Amino acid sequence: MDGIHDLGGMHGFGAVVTPGGDAPYHERWEPRVFALQVLIGVEGLGAGPGGRATRERMDPASYLEASYYERWLWSSERRLLRKGTIAPGEVEAMMERLAAGEPAPAPQSDPDQAARAVAWLREVVPLQPVEQARFAPGQRVRVRRMRPAGHTRCPRYARGAVGVVEHVRGADSLPDHTGPGDAPVEPVYGVAFRSDELWGRGEEPAWTVMLDLWESYLEEIT
Amino acid sequence: MSDDHGHHHPRPDSEVALRARALEALLVEKGLVATDAVDAIIELYERDVGPRNGARVVARAWADPAYRERLLADGTKAIAELGFGGAEADNLVAVANTAAVHNAVVCTLCSCYPWPVLGLPPTWYKSLPYRARMVAEPRAVLREFGLELPDEVEVRVWDSSAEIRYLVVPMRPAGTDGLTEDALAALVTRDCMIGTAVPLPPGPAA
Repeated sequence: MDGIHDLGGMHGFGAVVTPGGDAPYHERWEPRVFALQVLIGVEGLGAGPGGRATRERMDPASYLEASYYERWLWSSERRLLRKGTIAPGEVEAMMERLAAGEPAPAPQSDPDQAARAVAWLREVVPLQPVEQARFAPGQRVRVRRMRPAGHTRCPRYARGAVGVVEHVRGADSLPDHTGPGDAPVEPVYGVAFRSDELWGRGEEPAWTVMLDLWESYLEEIT
Repeated sequence: MSDDHGHHHPRPDSEVALRARALEALLVEKGLVATDAVDAIIELYERDVGPRNGARVVARAWADPAYRERLLADGTKAIAELGFGGAEADNLVAVANTAAVHNAVVCTLCSCYPWPVLGLPPTWYKSLPYRARMVAEPRAVLREFGLELPDEVEVRVWDSSAEIRYLVVPMRPAGTDGLTEDALAALVTRDCMIGTAVPLPPGPAA
């Protein structure tokens, strides 16, 4: 979807290098939210679109205001609610209990769950082999103009631009698929774009942007 | 709260921290999530999986030309030789800097990052300005990191928005002949493997 998450090329966000920016996180709740999201996936506690597609549906003002792991917390709650693992209001009720000084529930131990999570994090799931590729390395292609309502991996800034295929990466399920049935598996191409083509002539010497794009994002140049 | 996005002022810590604590407490109370499983995942990334893994890969590539070839041909297989791999490096592509090309990695749509070789990303990598600017004014961003590249060097920015993850293999600095792989790895910082820095030669300041 053409949401606020699709940031490439936007102005106005200020400096990249700021005090404290070097650490992966600053508060202990942040890695715990990271771990909870992993466990929600591993244990099948959530439902519907994954964390990433869910976060893209945050209202834009909240998305901009939230920190990274706050967005993960938000998407985790949505996925748990969709599955019915938690009911509406339950998180707020627990917040009230904790804020009132009630101790958190006693720590629980489950070495099997820990092992499942670590195994999942260590598992490698490669792309599938490409059976038939419409485009070949060296070929010029154009990114389709589109305005998808659902999840996509085709950033706005590349749409309509012409690039050159450099790699056929492998085949992968199209993330844009919303059902019914399984997502089609398509070749994914590494495509090189000249900066002039994406942004016009700028102040910097020309550079190259490399993007991995599913086949249906691309069209032949006629 | 993090310095996730410069001049914005996020809500106070306490509310988010309390909400996070409440969600974990709720799942623990329901018997669905074990506290020690949460701890194990955190420990994995705080203890075992971080940029020292990537630095070992780069150092091996510097020391062993045959390994470098294998790394550039199939990153996933090559890091597995050193025991690394997993979620977010299922399809790892290593891109080598040369005198003519400097590579740097961003994820404009999300904050995708090769966890098994670099650990969890720094806050700046996930920040709105990095995601917005790196594809559109890379040299201005690199300058913030103190990296000035000659005009004739081609900057290649990899926007890792699909399922392929990238590891930058920086150029081996001069004056490192005869160093052990461990000593070489010590020169390779996380930012060198994202592409916002280059390794410095060994020295008193390094």
